[in-house]
Amino acid sequence: MAAQQDNGLTVQPARTAAQPGAATPGWPTSADQRIWTALGAVFIYLRSMAVFLVIWHLGSRWVGNAILLPSPIDSAEALVELFADGEIFDNVTASLSRLGVSFGLAIVLGVSLGFAMGMNRTIYAMVDPMVELLRPISGIAWIPLGMFILGVGEALPTAIMFYGAFFPIVINTVVGVQAVNPGLVQAARVLGVSQRAIVRHVIWPAALPNILVGARLGAGAGWMAMVAAELIGAPSGLGFAIEWYRELLMTPKVLAFVFIIGLLGYLLDRLLRGLQRRLTPWAQAGGGLT
Amino acid sequence: METLEKMTPKICLGGITKEYIAPRTGQRTLAIADVSLDVFQGEFLCIVGPSGCGKSTILNMIAGLARPSRGELVMDGKPIRDPGAERGVVFQDYALFPWKTVRENIEFGPRYRTAGPLSASERDRIVRHYIDLVSLTGAENKYPHELSGGMRQRCAFARALANEPEVLLMDEPFAALDAQTRLILQEELLRIWGEELPRAARKTVVFITHGIDEAVYLADRVAVMSNNPGHIKTIMTVDLPRPRRESLRATAEFQKLADAIWQLIRHEAYEATIDRH
Repeated sequence: MAAQQDNGLTVQPARTAAQPGAATPGWPTSADQRIWTALGAVFIYLRSMAVFLVIWHLGSRWVGNAILLPSPIDSAEALVELFADGEIFDNVTASLSRLGVSFGLAIVLGVSLGFAMGMNRTIYAMVDPMVELLRPISGIAWIPLGMFILGVGEALPTAIMFYGAFFPIVINTVVGVQAVNPGLVQAARVLGVSQRAIVRHVIWPAALPNILVGARLGAGAGWMAMVAAELIGAPSGLGFAIEWYRELLMTPKVLAFVFIIGLLGYLLDRLLRGLQRRLTPWAQAGGGLT
Repeated sequence: METLEKMTPKICLGGITKEYIAPRTGQRTLAIADVSLDVFQGEFLCIVGPSGCGKSTILNMIAGLARPSRGELVMDGKPIRDPGAERGVVFQDYALFPWKTVRENIEFGPRYRTAGPLSASERDRIVRHYIDLVSLTGAENKYPHELSGGMRQRCAFARALANEPEVLLMDEPFAALDAQTRLILQEELLRIWGEELPRAARKTVVFITHGIDEAVYLADRVAVMSNNPGHIKTIMTVDLPRPRRESLRATAEFQKLADAIWQLIRHEAYEATIDRH
């Protein structure tokens, strides 16, 4: 027994040692490997989608009522139709322009307030209780009251989205400013730099990674709240379209719009993630150096 | 060295005491007590001592980042209250701006300082000069996270020098480096400091370290500090010839000086080690 085990142990390392040398000529280049990795990822993605679509299709067969649950094929047809007659573009434009206005406002005001709170203890002590009180209230909870005050129109969904995006941006800006490494501020001070230049050239870039995280969270939360507001509080937009086709019992089109909402939300997040990588490459690469 | 004592000091610490008051309990801790020290123009002064003896506190006070509780702190006849471009600091953890390249880090002082910022062309000249001086040529456009420890050290050093301070304060700048890199950078430091220059043309350096060898190799004088509360035990003059070379470490004089300093602090070093375990 012992002798056999000895044999096994001594032979195996010799085999593994010989392998890389023998295999080297046939090893794929890094470019080949990258293509295969990419293809593999696409395959896994398609496979998940296929499973999902099959289950959906079987589900719609089982329900047997196209108004309650249409098949994926019907929904895809509805989507194509919406693109073909251009109807989708009006609603997408309406929603995206509201997004642009409210998200832009939320960034400007949220980052300003966050900076003031992060830099100044008095302001923080005064404003923080209010932020903490309002933050857990979903923007959706304000829609009924918003309809009283603002009525049905552009203002309501824009305001609701602003509300949803504002708090994540404020809170992450405060965290970002407060978490700036004091050693970096000292390094700037001993170079004889003014307080204004320190804010502009040390605190701002040091807080930027956190601010961008807040922007991503805010965009996601705001997008969701805005579509909800459009369901009842707007004469146009993606949420409005969903409600419109629901009343007409045209469920495939409802689902087509739902799909577009998801797609746009995803693209928005990808866009912001790309921005993160562009604006703060150091934060993505060197985790230890902040 | 005799002439040194007759000069007026560049920096003068007179009876400096630093007390910390714990915010909640109100308990007072005496970090350093009654430290008096003169630093002369063009001298390389090392401060050595066991950990926790307040070496860095003294450096921070000279830098203007902390204020003494009692005592007098003067540079060129003017009291030190705030940080200023005339006192450059190299920090132990380098404190490089991670969002700026090597070049941008080095030009930070000359570009944004309040006292006489430089134009783009002047900055360019200065930055190139110091990049060459610390041998970072070719790495100008790299970010700090792309550099090795030794290169980060050089970059931090160049950033302090490019601001052209009169006094250079260094807080254990080589502590985080491996032993070989440290030996190389020590020799580099003396070259850049300008061992060959006359004293008047050299920068005044205050260098904190806990390495006795390092202190003896670099310094004109070594201030030996002691614990509880932090105070200066002795100031030793290192009369070794300059320019100094690696071979100096093997000589009997060098060993004698290093051993004398070790004898002064070994008792406390042992105590500190044993207390901690």
